[in-house]
Formats: sequence, C-alpha cells, structure tokens
Amino acid sequence: MAGIELKNIQKKYSVENRVINVLNGINLQIPRESITVILGRSGCGKTTLLRIVGGLEDADAGEMECDVEHKTTFVFQESRLMPWLNVWDNVKFGLKKQECDKMVIQSIIDTVGLHGFEKAYPNQLSGGMQQRTAIARALAYNPSFIMMDEPFAALDYFTREQMQKELIRLQRDRGVSILFVTHSIDEALLLGHKIVVIEGGQIKAEFMLKADNKERNLLEPEFIELKKNIIERLDL
Amino acid sequence: MKRTISRISPFIGILIVFGTWFVVSRIEIFSPYVLPTPEKVLSSFSKMLQSGEIFVDIAISFGRVLKGFLIAFVLAFALGTFRILVPAAEKYYEYILQFFRNVPPLSMIPLLILWCGIGEVTKTVIIVLASFFPMYLNIVKGFTGCDKCLLEVGDAFGYTQFEKFTHIVLPYALADILVGMRIGMGYSWRAIIGAEMVAASTGLGHMILLAQQMSRTDKVIVGIFVIGIVGLVTDKLFGIVIKKLFKGTGENGWN
Repeated sequence: MAGIELKNIQKKYSVENRVINVLNGINLQIPRESITVILGRSGCGKTTLLRIVGGLEDADAGEMECDVEHKTTFVFQESRLMPWLNVWDNVKFGLKKQECDKMVIQSIIDTVGLHGFEKAYPNQLSGGMQQRTAIARALAYNPSFIMMDEPFAALDYFTREQMQKELIRLQRDRGVSILFVTHSIDEALLLGHKIVVIEGGQIKAEFMLKADNKERNLLEPEFIELKKNIIERLDL
Repeated sequence: MKRTISRISPFIGILIVFGTWFVVSRIEIFSPYVLPTPEKVLSSFSKMLQSGEIFVDIAISFGRVLKGFLIAFVLAFALGTFRILVPAAEKYYEYILQFFRNVPPLSMIPLLILWCGIGEVTKTVIIVLASFFPMYLNIVKGFTGCDKCLLEVGDAFGYTQFEKFTHIVLPYALADILVGMRIGMGYSWRAIIGAEMVAASTGLGHMILLAQQMSRTDKVIVGIFVIGIVGLVTDKLFGIVIKKLFKGTGENGWN
C-alpha cells in the first residue's frame, strides 16, 4: 500500500510583512489505489498541502518520496474549463494528439453522464455538468494520482451525492489514487479510506476506515462515533 | 412589428441626414460650392462609376490599406508575443512605444519622404504607424490578462511553456486580438488620406485631394462616402468571416 510519503513538509507565506506558517512539519503517508481525504476548516493549509503534493507549488522544506513515478493531475474547486472548447475538446485537453482514442473519450464522457452534450460549450452547461466535465478531463488524462480540491463544494446536495457515488465507483474501477480535500466531515466519512485531520498546519489525527465506501451509512453508530471524534480533534 | 422596426431603424438615421442635406441645399442657405446638392453628388458618382475610375481608386487604396494593416498586424502580434514570452524586456522599449503612440503619423510625413522616398513604402509606413498601436495594445492586453487559474490547468496536465501559450494564452486572448484587428482596420482606412497625400496619382485619398484642388466639393463628398462605405463593408466582411471561423466560442468582440 505504499504510495507517496511526505516528510516534514513546511510552507510559509508572507502577507503584508507578516509571516504565516501554513504548514508546520507535515508527515504523511498517502496510500496507493485508495481515497485519502484531508479534512480541515478553511485556512488550515489543506489546499496548500494538496498543491505541494500535486507539484503546483514548492515546499520551503521537507521531502516528498514516491515509490513509483506518478502521473498526477488536478480537479479544482471550480471547473476551470476552457470556455472556447466544447465538452469533447475540454475532456481531451490533457491528451497529446497521438494519445486521443475516440472510443475511450466517449466512454469517459458517458461515465460522467454527459452523453449527448459533447458539442456543448461550458457556458451552456449547469455547474454540476461543468464539474463533471472537469472530472472527465482528469480521467481522460489517465492519471495514477488525482488531486481533488473540494471538487463538489459548489454543487447542490443532490448532484453532490450523485457525484460522490460516481467518484467511489470510478476510483474502484480504475484503481487510481485520490487525494481529496474537503471541509465537510460527512463527505470525508463517505469517501475516505483514510481521513487526515489538519488544524493550524499540523496533522491532528489520522483515521483508517475499514468499511467499504460503496455502502456506508453515516447514521450507523460507528460513523457517528467517528464524527464525534473528529469534531473533538477539530476543537469545534 | 418590433422586428420590422429593428430592421428599418438603422436606415431612419441615414434618411434624416439625407433629408436635412436635401432640404438645406434646396433652400440654398450655403452656396453650392460649400454644400453641393445630393443630385449633383449622385451624378458625379454615377459618372465616376461609368468611367470606371472610381473602381481603380478603390482597388488601389484597398490594396494599400490591406498591405499596411497586415504588416502592422504581424508586427503587433510578434512584439506582443515577445512581450509575453520575455516580460523583462518590456521596460527597455516601453517608453519608446509610448512615445510613438502619441506621435501623429501625419507629422512623420516630411521625415518619411526624406527617408523612404515618395513611393509606396512611405504610404505603407504611414498606414502601419496608424494601425499598429491599437492592435499592439489590445494584443498585449489579451495576453497579459490571461486567467491564472486556466494557466494552472496547463500545469496540472504537464503542459510546457510553449504549449500553455498556444493552447491557453492565445485562445484566451483571441477576443482582444480580434477587437484590436477591427480597430486597426478602421485606423488603416482613416490613414489613407495621409498616406495618399504623398505624391500619389491614384487611390481614393488622391482623388479627394485632387478634387479639393479643383474645387470639386461634390467629388470630395463622393470620396468620403466611398471610403466610409468600403470601410464599413470590410468591417462587416471581417466580422462574418471571423464569426464563421470561431462559431460558438461566445464573446469575440464581433457579435
């Protein structure tokens, strides 16, 4: 279950002559082929951690070790689609010309439920459909590791629930590793194989969840207990 | 009803202008030399059409405008691209560009005649000087205004700097580039008189200047109309071609 290992990751930002320690020595094991959820309140450093793991930012200190060469990509909080490209072209945005297999792209578009919308432009789609296009774009890239930064935050309850189910299925079918950032405890409990609670730039707690994430019921005593536990750790 | 009104409304303004012109020239407030009657202008126009001279003038001026416009566009695009690829270089030439942006191309004519002669080169340079800056400024605005979030998507998918430029920055800037081209085209037409003041024997600008010397106000008005109409038609054609090319991509400044 080896994957990516972070050792003593540190990151500072200077804002108006004030130095803010965003990450204070993060040591973390991100297992392969599973969903690791980073949970924390806004401003706790979870997005920064994700961006460092994904290579969008450099850490000030610390090491990151990967057991194998990972092909990583991102799903951002906003869909970040290219407004001048239709759904089809947006989905194949990460692919080189010779990598484009029409059958594969079509099947990914079908998987995220956008069949029939291939020719539509982002401004003609609802927020949920845009986000699904962004997820399809990440999947088409065929990554071994996907960083997701609160990808469902902008969605309504029903779409979010449906997308969470789809994500669990996709992760299982394709065996990708996912690092998922969220501030929703319920979302973390629904998706995660591993939940990492971050507060003030430090890891407060780590939980390994044994129950199959395909059929979790958050009303079961086990999850209620876990939720209480997490809330305590977050000092809410 | 609404549709008919919106269809005829552009013509109402034109009708009012022509109506006023007709009435004012009929009651002879001004001498026919200052304001020739519409009939007089129309008859001169039809004579020029019959003799075919106007078509030669249009073709020649059009050729000059197009040549100047294209050179200016290539220069503006190349410099704009350079500006974005090597941002540090900007401070070395910024003031020079700002300086020339404020210098009217007409004021350069004496120097241009000395340096480039009285041939086609000088005429082209005047048009280039007039249309370069609006295009350059819009191209730079388009390039520098690129959404950082979209550039990060390029990073997330392992794009190189060059790929990010061709796949994200360039399409993002397209709307501004097209607006710049449209303004540049207009400026090219506006510069044609200045360009053809320099020892031209053909072209619409030359025609107007000759008519002025011959005191043929009617011909001057014909020339102004023709330049305006040809400019308008070019602009519309440009718009149609670009709408076809970039169908569905939304805002591109031409709709």
